[in-house]
This record gives sequence, structure tokens and C-alpha cells, in this order.
Amino acid sequence: MTNYIIRRLLYLIPVVLGVGLIIFILFNVVAGDPAPLLLGKHATPQQVHELREQLGLNKPLYMQYFDVVRSSFTFDFGRSWATRQEIFEMIKIGAWPSLTLTIPAFFLSTVISILLALVVAFYRGKGIDLFIRFLCIAGMSISSVAYILFFQYFFAYKLGWFEISGYEPQFPDFFSYVALPGIIWIVLSLGPDVRFFRTVILDEIYQDYVRTARAKGLGEIKVLLKHVLRNAMIPIITYVVIQIPFLILGALLLESFFSIPGLGGITLNALNSSDFPVIKAMAVLSSIAYILFSLLTDILYTVADPRVKLK
Amino acid sequence: MLKRLTIILSLLLVVLGCTREQNYNEKVLNLISPQKIKGFDPIYAADMYASNEIGKVYEGLLEFHYLKRPYVLTPNLAESMPEVSKDGLTYTFKIKKGVVFQDSKVFPNGKGRELKASDFVYSIQRMADPKLQSTGWWLLDGKIAGLNEWRDKYASAEKVNYDEEISGLKALDTHTLQFKLVKPVPQFLYALAMTFTSAVAREVVEGYGQEFQNYPVGTGPFKLGYFDNSNRIVYEKNPTFRDKFYPTEGAPGDEERGFLADAGKKLPLVDKVIVNIIVESQPQWLNFQKGSADILGVPKDNFDQTVVNGKDLHPSMASKGIKLEMVNSLDTTYIAFNHEDPLFKNNIKLRQAMSLAYDRDEANKLFYNNTAKTAHSIIPPGISGHKADYKNPYVAFNVEQAKKVLAEAGYPDGKGLPELSYETVGSTVARQMGEFFVKKMADIGVKVKISTNTWPELVKKTNTKAAQLFGMAWGADYPDAENFFGLLYGPNEAPGSNSSNYKNAEMDKLFKQSTIMQDSPERTALYEQMYVMAADQVPWIYGMHRTAVTVLHGWLKNYKYIEFTQTQIQYLNVDLESKKVLVNKL
Repeated sequence: MTNYIIRRLLYLIPVVLGVGLIIFILFNVVAGDPAPLLLGKHATPQQVHELREQLGLNKPLYMQYFDVVRSSFTFDFGRSWATRQEIFEMIKIGAWPSLTLTIPAFFLSTVISILLALVVAFYRGKGIDLFIRFLCIAGMSISSVAYILFFQYFFAYKLGWFEISGYEPQFPDFFSYVALPGIIWIVLSLGPDVRFFRTVILDEIYQDYVRTARAKGLGEIKVLLKHVLRNAMIPIITYVVIQIPFLILGALLLESFFSIPGLGGITLNALNSSDFPVIKAMAVLSSIAYILFSLLTDILYTVADPRVKLK
Repeated sequence: MLKRLTIILSLLLVVLGCTREQNYNEKVLNLISPQKIKGFDPIYAADMYASNEIGKVYEGLLEFHYLKRPYVLTPNLAESMPEVSKDGLTYTFKIKKGVVFQDSKVFPNGKGRELKASDFVYSIQRMADPKLQSTGWWLLDGKIAGLNEWRDKYASAEKVNYDEEISGLKALDTHTLQFKLVKPVPQFLYALAMTFTSAVAREVVEGYGQEFQNYPVGTGPFKLGYFDNSNRIVYEKNPTFRDKFYPTEGAPGDEERGFLADAGKKLPLVDKVIVNIIVESQPQWLNFQKGSADILGVPKDNFDQTVVNGKDLHPSMASKGIKLEMVNSLDTTYIAFNHEDPLFKNNIKLRQAMSLAYDRDEANKLFYNNTAKTAHSIIPPGISGHKADYKNPYVAFNVEQAKKVLAEAGYPDGKGLPELSYETVGSTVARQMGEFFVKKMADIGVKVKISTNTWPELVKKTNTKAAQLFGMAWGADYPDAENFFGLLYGPNEAPGSNSSNYKNAEMDKLFKQSTIMQDSPERTALYEQMYVMAADQVPWIYGMHRTAVTVLHGWLKNYKYIEFTQTQIQYLNVDLESKKVLVNKL
């Protein structure tokens, strides 16, 4: 297993090189020239030239790519071109609001979805199953913006149960700011999650070992929780753990509507201003997180199913 | 287990229920900024939002009088308006004595030192510093004697020498500052009222290094208390702020409107300012409705809830003590032709036909809630050079006439004209405006396709002269027609501000002539001539001059719309007694 982990970690090198190359190509081919954007509406050609020189954009392309690679491996992303803030500091400050929103919401939505999936699997084909499935599909048919607009208007403004927008980084102050967006996250996740988990559980429920368990006289709840759920864990782990890296990137729409100063907004601003150092940092860090969490997924397989061996 | 769960849930509800309490012991101004603030370095105050925040902490030599209209300059850190030499080249300022920078650890004993004329020399040098690339350099480029030479000298050097003397920028003594210009520049004084030229202290800049933008230390009415550029900014009243008083005179009608109630009172009038960064319009609106924001520009989608009969406040809002302000902005919207494209460059008839086919009244209803004014030429009302009685013949919507002119252009019913491309950004409203334009052009047989871009992509296309048609708006940097005519001045072509690459030798000649003329009837006459020329030549499809629609709560006092908002906040007041009453009506 150690060899396997080392090998997977070594994959990080080509992945980071590849991600760096892709964003570098996209930046040079698709994105706009950052110099006029940074200099504003009165930029002179001389200023544009000078700023490009200072940003290193007049260097040969291979040298610019080398800079990308170097900063990706040293994690020295420098300063944002647009805000002139230290990028690591920006990420550090932005990660906390994003995570205080996404982690509790993600955890709760996963738990609730699995529980609901077990209920609908238990009552498969009956009224409650049909009703919850109907709700899931109906819920998924409505735009996420509609949920946000309605919940914010009704629960925060009309009923006054929550703050309309804003954020306080201190514990426990942030709860009153992330509660409503967190609830919306859960509501938005329930539809696809419950349907997925239901399918996974139903795949297991018709297996021979389940019939054997029932034949031995085990109750349906025990069968579901002890046997079916455990055996359904492999696809559930894959589905759940692989989403974790994206939690770090925040929830763009929720952050925007609830004025939560998270990483989603930082990334969007960087894209809008061709702020390459920030885009590069976010792309590299999220690809590293993706690799690490997919490795974690593999390790968790061995926990969920001892027959799995990592070679 | 159940008991534990109940306790946790109860605690959670208590936490969630802890909403912010209103504090009626101090005067707090609650504002909304719809954009994140990049930092507090005056030399990068390119957008209004950054300028507003920087202007709370830093100050310049001059400012726009808060109440008088048309806009007039008035001394701020200057003791009086400058002495100007007869040839219009030398400006000598006396700086106010006894003005001190806010306390900061970079000063000896942490006490802010007195402002000196040399601080302005240093601050202006920073604007010219080629290593810093100020977004305000255009204001001084080619204007102050020796400054461009100083800039060019250090463009490729390792380090810039701020101790080197510049012939046109001198501190004659501790409180006397002198500028020598290379040519008469009547707009020069406007530059000294803009946030870019605010006074910064060299020891603060050097002391904080690259973090200077996060630790503003100015002479202004407020000092920074808390700064999270994407969440909230809090300012406290600057305890060492000089004796600056609310104006005792204003424009006609100001007294009746209560704008002189605080005349002669020491500024600032509030103890604290909280600026919440809220990007989306719904939370902005809901926060205003709840009283968490004192003032708000009305979001487009909330216009019908706010305004009735096109000008009156909705009774449901009036009953809550809310007030409405509708004032013309100093701006012009337009659809630009790229004059590098031979299709438009050599065919004025085609431009005229397309302008005639564009229905501005309908656009006004659709996109501006019928509050905007049709733009007949480039200069908005309120700026000298605007001819209120002039009607541009190519602005009147007339499909038949448009078809006729299109045929004269060589494209009867659009035949022979290739499909045109309209470049826009991907926002909903921008795309809707594009669709509207496509539809109007289709009515005369001109085929247009929409190409959506990110903002960086659109800027790239306009800067490289690759955009054929594109929608834009221009807001005044200062109240002078020169700021608008520059958009049609040939040498300013892309990547300069003339992004439509319009070139007209006669226009260029008149523009050059006008830029060295002081404000006078002769210059106004010249501006009016250029105004008519800019209309006749149809360099753009003129759109609208927009109206700023603002709502404010009854407890907010002294709010008068001002286009140049950087110093406004110090004049605002909060009536705590009326706030206690009005909050309960919300």
C-alpha cells in the first residue's frame, strides 16, 4: 500500500505540469490581455507595453511557462495582478468563509440524503418512495437561483430568521450568516443525492447475500443498515469524497448572493480580470486537492471492503 | 441522547437568533458597495467604488463643492485656489497649515506628522513612477514640465529616484507647492480634485512596502478601522481631523431642501461608516428595505416598486419615510462602429441608416425604466458644450428613412452588406441590449450576429481593433467636455480611449485647439461646434444619458446627488431620533 501511495503522489508531478500547461495555453489563447484591464480606460500604448514587461508577458512563451511550473512547485504564487494582495493570504482568508459554509452543509446534505435513500429503499415501490422521488425530481427542475431568491426573501427578509447577507469570521458568529445558504445547499443537493444513493442501495438490495440475511431472520432495518449500506459504501465513498476538493472552491452563487467573502468570489474576480497568478494558484491547488482526495478514496475502499487491496 | 440533541438545537437557535442590534448611541452610516475594493492606494483609484473608499481616508488639494451646481472646484487641503500665472503655465498653491496625517506606527511615537508641500510632490511622483503604473497617469501625462522625462529616465532602471528634482513640480517651502506646465491645460485643476492626486506620506508608503494599500494613513475625515476587501470596511471618525466645516452656501433651493441645516458644523458629521460589499441586487434591496443600508441606487428590477408616474416615490415607500432622488448622470451610452473597418470608415450613409433604425424610446423603456434622456451627441446635459436645443436628425427613430439612407449607402434592404458582428459581454442585460439591437437592424435588412465575451475578451478585441460593433458607456471623470471629446480624438485610438478608432482631421484640429483654452464663451462655442459635428458624422449610434435613481431613508440627512462622490460621506448626517421612529415602520 505504501508503494501505491508513493506512486499516486508521484502522479502529482505530471498532473501539475499538465494543469499548468493547459491554463497557460488558455490564458494566452483565450483570455484577454491583462495589461489594459489593469490600467483602466485611459491606458496608453506605452503604459500597456511597460506593464506587460513588468508582468513578464513579453518574455518568450517557454520562459513564461517555466515561471508557471516553478511557482506551482514552490507554491510561491506571488501577488494578484488585480488586487496586488499576497495570493496565499487571499486564499487563506477566503478559505475559511467558504469552508464554514460548505463543510457543514455538505456533511448534513450527505447524511440526510443517505438516510432518505434508505427510507425510500425500505419502502421501495410504495407511496412514500414515489412521493420522495417526485419531490426530488421536482426540486431538481427548479433553478438554484430561484431557491436562493425565494429563501433569502422569505426566510431572511420576511420572517427575519436569518441575516440577509454578510459574514462574521469569528466562531460562533458565522453560524447566523451561513445557516440559510447552508440550508439552501442541502435542499439543492437532496434531489440528485437521494436519487443516486437510492439507486446504489437498490443495486445491493437484490443481491443474494441480502436474501440470505433475511432468510436467517434478520429484520429489514438491520439488513439495510448493517449489510446493504456497508456494501454500498464503495460507490458512496467515490461519490462523496471526490466532491470534497470542490468544497474548497466554495459555492459561487451562494457566496455571491449572501455576500460571503469566500474563494468562489475570488476565483470569479480573477477570471473577470485575467488575473493569471490567482487563476493559476486556484487551478493548481484544486488539482492537487483532487489527486489527494482521489487517493483518499482508494484508501477508504480498503476500509469499507477488506477484499480491496491497493497494489 | 435526545436531551443532548435538544440542548444543541436550542443553542443553535439562540446563535441564529442573534441578529445585529441597532445602536442609537452613535451616528453610524451604513452603506453598500456593489463592488469589491482592491485597496487603498490613491494612485489606483480608477473606479468610482475604489475612489469613494480611498476618499474617506485621503484628501487632495481641491474638491468639488458639495452643494453648488454646476460643479465648481473649492480648496480642500489647499489654503485657497491657486495663483495662476498670466501665461497659464504656473500654478502656485498654499497648503493649509496644521493638517496632520492620522496616527500610525510608522511615525515617531506613533503620532501623525504635519502635512507638507513635499508630500504632494512625492504623491504626484508616485503617479508618474513607471514601476507602479498608476491608473491615473493619463491625467498628468505630458502636462507637468520634467515629469515625463523623469518617468522615462527610470522606465528601465532598477530603482526610481524620488529625490531627484523635477522642474515643474516643486515644494517652494513647507507650505507652498508649485506646478509648471508644459502647455496651458485648463483641466489641470480637475486632476487635483481627483483621488489619484491625494497626499500620501513617504514614510508610510516605505514603511508598509507592498502592504501599503492595506494600511491607509491619510489626512481625511475617517480612519480605517477594519478592512476585508470582499466583505466589509469600517471607518471611525478621525480624531485628529482638522477644522473643516459644512458649507454655508449652496445652490438655489438647497436651503429649502434642508441642505444647509448643518451649515458651519465641524465635519465629519457621523462617528462611524460601515460599508458592506454586496454584489447582488436582491440582498442590496432587502438590506435597504430592512434599514441595514441608509441609501441605495435602485436596482433595475425594483424600479416599479419604487417609482410611480416615472418620477414619484411609491406611496408604500413614502409612508416609511423613504425619499427618492432622480438626477441625470454625466454619462453617455453608445454603440460604437469600428472606424478601422472600411465598411463604416468610408460610408457615413450606412452609419446614419443604422442610427435611424435604432429605437431609443423603446430602449429607454426596456432598459432604463424610461428615465434616461436620448443622447443627441456625445456631451451629456450639465456639461458646458451640451446644446439642449439641438436635435440630431439621425437620432429620431424612422425605419422608412433608415431604409432610404441604407439604399443610398449602396445596400438597398441590406443586400450586399455582409453580416455584422456585435460584441458584448455575457451579462443578461448586455445580451438583451444586443438582441434589441439585432432586431432593430433586422427591420431595415441589416443582419447582425451577437458575439458574447468575457470582459477581458471584449477589452482585448477593442484594444486590438478587432471588434466591429460594440456597446459602451462613458461617465465623466470631471465636468469638462474635453473628457468626452477625447473619445473621438484620432491620436487616442485603441488601445487608447478612442476605442472606435474614429478619425476626423477637422475634429482633431478643433479638439487640439480647445484643450489649451480656458473656460470661456469662446471655448463653449468651440465645444458646441464639435458637439454638432460629432452628431452629424454619426461616429457612434448614440444611446442615452442615464438617470441615477437613488432611495434613502428619512434619517439620512444632507444627501445631495453629486457625480464626483469621493468626498461626499463627510457631509452626510444621521438623525438618530428620526431613525428610532422610522425603523419601526420598515
